[in-house]
Amino acid sequence: MILAIDTSAGTSVALIEDGLIRAEITVDDNMRHAEVIGETIAKILATTDTKPNQIKTVVAGRGPAPFTGLRVGIAAATMFAAGVGAKLYGVCSLDAIAFNELTRGETRPLLVTADARRKEVYWAIYEGLDQDGVPIMIHGPAVNKPQDLEELLKERNLVTVEAKAPMRASDLGLLAHNLQKANRLDTDTAALYLRAADAVEPKPNQRFGKAVSG
Amino acid sequence: MTLHLRLATEADLAKIMQLENASFATDAWPEESMRFELTAPHTSYFVAFDTSEEQNLIGYGGLAKLQGSPQADIQTIAISQESRGKGFGKKLLERLIEEAVNQQAQEIFLEVRADNEVAQNLYLALGFEHIDTRKRYYQPADVDAWVMRLKLQKQNTAQPLVLGIESSCDETGIGIVRGNTLLANVISSSMDLHARFGGVVPEIAARAHLEALQPTLEKALKEAQIDLSELDAIAVTNGPGLAGALMVGVGAAKALAVATGKPLYAVNHLVGHVGVDVLERGEVITPTIALLVSGGHTSLLKVNDLLDDVELLGETIDDAAGEAFDKIARLLDLGYPGGPKIDEQAAKGDPKAIRFPRGLTLPKDMEKHRYDFSFSGLKTAVARWVEVKEAANEPYSIPDVAASFREAVVDVLVTKAVNACLDNKIPRLLLGGGVVANARLRELAKEKCEANGIELRIPAFSLCTDNGAMIAALGAQLVMAGRKPSNLEFGANSTLPVTTVQTI
Repeated sequence: MILAIDTSAGTSVALIEDGLIRAEITVDDNMRHAEVIGETIAKILATTDTKPNQIKTVVAGRGPAPFTGLRVGIAAATMFAAGVGAKLYGVCSLDAIAFNELTRGETRPLLVTADARRKEVYWAIYEGLDQDGVPIMIHGPAVNKPQDLEELLKERNLVTVEAKAPMRASDLGLLAHNLQKANRLDTDTAALYLRAADAVEPKPNQRFGKAVSG
Repeated sequence: MTLHLRLATEADLAKIMQLENASFATDAWPEESMRFELTAPHTSYFVAFDTSEEQNLIGYGGLAKLQGSPQADIQTIAISQESRGKGFGKKLLERLIEEAVNQQAQEIFLEVRADNEVAQNLYLALGFEHIDTRKRYYQPADVDAWVMRLKLQKQNTAQPLVLGIESSCDETGIGIVRGNTLLANVISSSMDLHARFGGVVPEIAARAHLEALQPTLEKALKEAQIDLSELDAIAVTNGPGLAGALMVGVGAAKALAVATGKPLYAVNHLVGHVGVDVLERGEVITPTIALLVSGGHTSLLKVNDLLDDVELLGETIDDAAGEAFDKIARLLDLGYPGGPKIDEQAAKGDPKAIRFPRGLTLPKDMEKHRYDFSFSGLKTAVARWVEVKEAANEPYSIPDVAASFREAVVDVLVTKAVNACLDNKIPRLLLGGGVVANARLRELAKEKCEANGIELRIPAFSLCTDNGAMIAALGAQLVMAGRKPSNLEFGANSTLPVTTVQTI
């Protein structure tokens, strides 16, 4: 069984068994990841009558996403896997959104975006599914201002449709199922920040306040 | 002759019945009862032979314990006539007690004939008490029975095995304790990553926590030589601290708790600094005053009771003391973190060379801020002093500036802490936090405490700085006090007050 956890938008947790969704809970509040993550996982297990150690695979959504919430899900996935001795893998969250649209028959180049705050968006472009049922990413993931992204698409002569599917852990889990079958799951669970930490190096000898006059 | 003990099977029935009939002439169990006893799912029978070839059965004994019940019963025990007086009965009994402990029994009961003094003495020697007498219990001999009980130390509340996760600032700490005993204290610090910024950058700290979680957990389990399944509880810091950093630990701890099915305790970081003393002393003697000084906190606490009554007497109204050290070290181009760099220079300087101001110590400030601290004015005063010297191209001694600055910080810290002890008539002071590494702080605290008859407690440095062991230790205290675990829905609270020891 695959436990999929994603906190790139809200908090979404799903249980996948043999390529089928056994259960999924999504809490759309994107400010309460740390509060709801434990209860959400516990509910998924309880409603499906699953014992933790029946989970052999844990998949974390790696974002890109606003950092603080994103980390809660990856941290939870990491420790859940450690707690039951399951294998831990990471999947780009935008891939999961693309997977939803593409498996529903979208054939045009697909632009997937997610709010990156600070008037920017995370984005990636996909074109179809490969032989394993995995979205083919042709550009991204990256972070840009919407107008810069528009320009970029124009420059490259890309006409895309925009993905509308919400971020759901079930899509992440189903995609992970396909990747697992093809032996392509990646153990890298590092958060896709795509931005350096906000920090400014001080000048070597920074003074405080105003200079003394006179 | 060595005793060979093993679990009995139905195949042993014939030999057991032989001994049963020989031992209990008038009240031996029928063979069918014994067969039932040997094969029932809730019993554990052991047979004892004189050699591993199992030629002669010299004794047997059985324990009954229903799953989930805290009570176990010793059903019977027999040693053959010719093997008595050699300590075999005791060995067999000890094996039964061990089995009861393994099955998590909290007490063992048995009945013994009131006229069998030899057996009674054996039971008494092993800690059984005579708690009741059943009149004319043994028939047809018409002999009373003594009911005896052995109370077993309840492993999971007497000495709970607790894992603690700390991520409130720049140290990812995972500690493991058994009751008041430290088993592991692994700290992964992101300090070096903050060095070029001259202070902790919250986003960098949070990123580092996420990466450090798994390796830190693995190292801690290895150090404690335990498996996650053995844990009785998990504890985690849910505040105060940096919100983004705290959330990594909270998310991690919740998932670990759900995965392992262990109860989770959300505990206060600052109270953890106080509670850590149990690991060295076996208890936190209260009431005590606690001075917690780090890069993020400068707090003076009055701890009347570790779990129920912690009061904030005062705290910094601007910079934390550790932060002031960092900033002055940067001003003097000494590097990061500032504490040890300033200490190093100060050792060569004169603490009385420059009289820097002591924040919030003037009479008018003392009215409102008797136990509060302020280091912002001091920091500015040092900066101005250096600027004036540099503007005038006057040479000055960095060691003197460092020593005088350090003296000003330490003087205020210790004076206010000692005042708190004297005002509240509490002759105990506990230090905690990373700044406790500062040599002069320890020295002056020792001096002033001695002069005022105050007992000073300074935990080992690895327990003073932020760590997971202190969180585990506080969690263990809560478990031992029979507190309920936290509800899984608690959040990270960057300004969690010290009055909230556990977030329920």
